[in-house]
Amino acid sequence: MVENARSINIAASILLAIGILYIVGPLYLTLSTASQSYEYMLRNGLAWVPGTELFANMGKVIHDTRIPIQMLNSMIVAFSNALATCILSFLSAYAIVYFRIRWAGVAFALILATIMLPLDIRVITTYQVASNIFSPLNAVLDFTGLNSLIETMFGAPVQLELSVLDTHFGLIAPLVAHGTGTFLFRQFFLTLPKDLFKAARMDGAGPIRFLIDILLPLARTSFASLFVLTFLSGWTQYLWPLVGASTPDMQTAVVGLARLVPDADGQVPDFPMIMAGAVLVSLVPLTMIALLQRFLVQGLVLSEK
Amino acid sequence: MSSESSLFSHRWLPALLLAPMILLILLFFYVPVFQAFYWSFFLEQPFGGGSEFVGFENFQRVLGDPEFWAATGRTVVFMLTASSLAVVVPLMLAIAADRKIGMSYPARNILVWPKGIAGASIGVVFAFIFNPFVGLMAPLNALFPGLWNPGIDGTDAFTTLVAAHVWSGIPFNFVILLAGLRSIPPTMYQAAAMDGAGPWRRIFDVQLPLIMPQLFLTFVLEFTESITSVFALIDTITGGGPGGSTSLLVYKIYVDGFRGFDLSGASTQTAILMVFVLLLAACQFYFLGRRINYER
Repeated sequence: MVENARSINIAASILLAIGILYIVGPLYLTLSTASQSYEYMLRNGLAWVPGTELFANMGKVIHDTRIPIQMLNSMIVAFSNALATCILSFLSAYAIVYFRIRWAGVAFALILATIMLPLDIRVITTYQVASNIFSPLNAVLDFTGLNSLIETMFGAPVQLELSVLDTHFGLIAPLVAHGTGTFLFRQFFLTLPKDLFKAARMDGAGPIRFLIDILLPLARTSFASLFVLTFLSGWTQYLWPLVGASTPDMQTAVVGLARLVPDADGQVPDFPMIMAGAVLVSLVPLTMIALLQRFLVQGLVLSEK
Repeated sequence: MSSESSLFSHRWLPALLLAPMILLILLFFYVPVFQAFYWSFFLEQPFGGGSEFVGFENFQRVLGDPEFWAATGRTVVFMLTASSLAVVVPLMLAIAADRKIGMSYPARNILVWPKGIAGASIGVVFAFIFNPFVGLMAPLNALFPGLWNPGIDGTDAFTTLVAAHVWSGIPFNFVILLAGLRSIPPTMYQAAAMDGAGPWRRIFDVQLPLIMPQLFLTFVLEFTESITSVFALIDTITGGGPGGSTSLLVYKIYVDGFRGFDLSGASTQTAILMVFVLLLAACQFYFLGRRINYER
């Protein structure tokens, strides 16, 4: 199509340039300030030109703060969140799509409803559940009167207690309890031709064989997309790790970074050091985006359909 | 999938496959949601000191508290300003990036970067950049004292929050809207061009109407997102201040529950917020959802 679209192309270019500046600007200022000394920052404010102190500031973060061990925590949380979400979502979507079960619709609705109310909204009571994951069981036993029965028979009611606070499991499990992955795999399964299933059946493949030999290889891209998406979401969580872990050695890097900023007003904080921390904490997810951008974009689009 | 041979029949395998996910969701989603509503009718003592049924007293207390209404008002203002900007800005960028121009390739790459940066991280960065003494506005502040100080002026603090929220929200909305634009068949543009619609006109007459489903979806998700994910920004940029001017509901619930140990009050507000979020989504589906069914 040949037409004169000069004015709109110029406008679009300017707009995109502003957009890029808006995204990159704060990142650049973070990096340039991280490479200046505290004294330079006190004299000149934020740094427009990079200096030479980047590694010195990073060294300060690594030696004087708990960020290194917290980055390890973030790694564990993000990786396990991604892996567990991929596996559990794949299995549940498989059960919903490929089995003749009467309650498939109910199960899917139960899982999908989790998308409506994010973890940040229900953090108070999720914290209570995590502080004793048997509390629902105890409550059910109390409520149904089973516990008073047990008490008369065995002398004491059942009161189990197990806290998952301050554990990696406790940081991860509430993140996995989310429906996006199941939704994504279900949509993917529904796009596959039915003949695939019939052919596999004809060749005598059972449910497990069909899952491993046919669906798993086909779903590689979906796995990659979901993995990148949930890894990033696990890494960038804030409110849940903030309350779910109370000791600095169990907290995640993002929480640790926020704690680097002193609460009290007065002296100007060591911003170059804090910015160096921000660079360190963002290094892993940004590298991931740079390398696996294709899957991230695909994951975002798929999770919407 | 109703014919005999198109599904597996197995007695326990599907239940076993679903069990881990369902169990996690019951434990960490449905129990907490239920408990928030349950506790809103009880007076809970902190540290497991027992509870007492109080009927609607918690709701009376919360709804009679001017602080609650102030926080709700601020939440609604933030939701309307931040989320409309967080959709409109990526929309303009997506329309621009959809054109075949030199800038669109780097833009498609760079505009996704914020997805990897935690809200709290960018909060720490924005708190520094907008610091009145050493930040971006420091030189202007030296010329006009008191021009910019998010530590004192509530509007400045609010503006910083909105800027940070829009920054974080760009990747998702941009990717979704761009995907919508790219799925518009080229014949649509050709037909519009034949009818004499220039490129500017086609934005409003072809592109916008045809990406209504994506636009609708980003709005639905963005409303919830702006209510919840703002916590990380508030906690790192303003701490709810100055003078409570950026204390939104999600932050107030956290402060009441984890610092004030008012579990009943926090649960009641959680229950109210949940109902609000669900109603909001329902309204959007009802009012907006009906108008956007364009055939492709």
